[in-house]
Amino acid sequence: MRMTPDVDAPSKRARSVRADDIAISCRVRLARNLENERFPDWATERDRERVFVKVRSALEAEKTGLTLKPVDSFAEQHLNMLRESHVISKDLLERAAGGGIAYAESSPVCVMVNEEDHLRIQGFADGLDMRSAWRRADALDTLLERHLHYAWSPRLGYLTACPSNVGTGLRAGTMLHLLGLRLLGEIEAVVRGLERMRLLVRGIGGEGSEAAGQIYQISNMDTLGIDEEAIVLRVMRISEEVVRQEYNARVRLIQESPLVLVDCLARSLCVLQNARLLSTVEALEFLSAMRLGASLGLFTRLKVQEVDKLILLMQPGHMQIRMDTALMSDERDEMRAGFLSRKLANVKLKC
Amino acid sequence: MKCEMCHKADAATVIRKVVADEMQEFFVCQDCAHNEERRETSHVSTPTSLPGETDGGTRVPLMGMILDAAFEIAGRSLSLKEPACPVCGILRDEYRKRSRLGCPACYEAFSKELDAAIADLHRATQHTGKTPEKARAAWHRQQLVNALEDAVRGQRYEEAIALRDELGKLNGSEAATGGFPQ
Repeated sequence: MRMTPDVDAPSKRARSVRADDIAISCRVRLARNLENERFPDWATERDRERVFVKVRSALEAEKTGLTLKPVDSFAEQHLNMLRESHVISKDLLERAAGGGIAYAESSPVCVMVNEEDHLRIQGFADGLDMRSAWRRADALDTLLERHLHYAWSPRLGYLTACPSNVGTGLRAGTMLHLLGLRLLGEIEAVVRGLERMRLLVRGIGGEGSEAAGQIYQISNMDTLGIDEEAIVLRVMRISEEVVRQEYNARVRLIQESPLVLVDCLARSLCVLQNARLLSTVEALEFLSAMRLGASLGLFTRLKVQEVDKLILLMQPGHMQIRMDTALMSDERDEMRAGFLSRKLANVKLKC
Repeated sequence: MKCEMCHKADAATVIRKVVADEMQEFFVCQDCAHNEERRETSHVSTPTSLPGETDGGTRVPLMGMILDAAFEIAGRSLSLKEPACPVCGILRDEYRKRSRLGCPACYEAFSKELDAAIADLHRATQHTGKTPEKARAAWHRQQLVNALEDAVRGQRYEEAIALRDELGKLNGSEAATGGFPQ
């Protein structure tokens, strides 16, 4: 999807906005549990290990290319890196023994074992290609089902640890960058509208309660009484509408408040090029503005994909993996500031 | 469900707030609920606050609230100390507090109150969607086993023989197709 704004100077420098610049990625998660096994929160360590072994056998039998490994076999930095990449949840890391991760580098699917449910099968895709994310998760689920006896009832569907997931066990989510709506003060109205449509809206990537960097995750609330394809289509269609609203907000920013927009970009670039200490959340806020500027083509030598890469690389787990050492918080802040300053040294604002 | 404020911990509580003249519910964890309460008393706005809002501030355990409503609708009171699930043995008040069921069998054991809660949560009561072939077969087999045991206990031998034969056919067809991997 490509949309071209009809804007006048000083917005002539702004290039057309791609929907992919707003919709970062999407994910479909399937919650599954094994029959005759306690759910992880109530299971003993032995129960959880038994589930782990069953899932590992199923994955090996189908040659999925995924290797299931215990959570505690990963280095802490590696786990943080996986969490920052949204491959695994923080919830998984906080649980007791028996937790497992099945994934392969660059694979668009992964399985978390003994998180809130016995299995959390996830399919990923870029932008709003949610059908691909669903197909990937569904295919892996169907393969595993040959070897695992899922807890399921004809009336309630897949039985999950929390009744809020019962039915399809499917959560379809899109990750959207909505800084334009935020700058225009319209994000709260959009969020309220989405919640009225029974969608969950959460912040993502930040340590605080708000959507750090104005990156939001939108996902379905209902999992029962609506089939998988319909859930996926609904979340996708509504996300497309939000993307359109964000696009319009960006066009209006360019047309109606160019000075506010350019000021925001200039300040962000200035801080990122010159700061000596930057926390993750702080850096994310400024990189969010850089991302908006890059999507509008207002920076020289900076693409949206490059900003996305910086957003990932400046997070604690990724930084520590790159440095191959554990870093204290203040050391990380200093290194993060230096890293971003170097990476953005040659970037200039066009207007 | 994750807390709608910190997006980290599980939501355990509902707080109600008036936002733009409209009562809204936010599913939050206990920590955020306490923080919200403190903020409310000191009149400091929060990330989810909007200008002009006033906070009703009542809060109750999320699943507990839904279940309480279910109890009320059902018009019966059940002992919270009763070990309601015969398979995992968790107590009613344990799963109400933690908002997590103990095992798949809890859905049957707690069906009286859970059915209403699920209808409230999802606005639906019947699954439509993917059906795992083997789970459905296993479910059918279990239903037959239960019915057979019931028929034997009730000394309804003709019915028991028919159920046994049906079970035998089911097991035979599963054996022919390789059966269910254990």
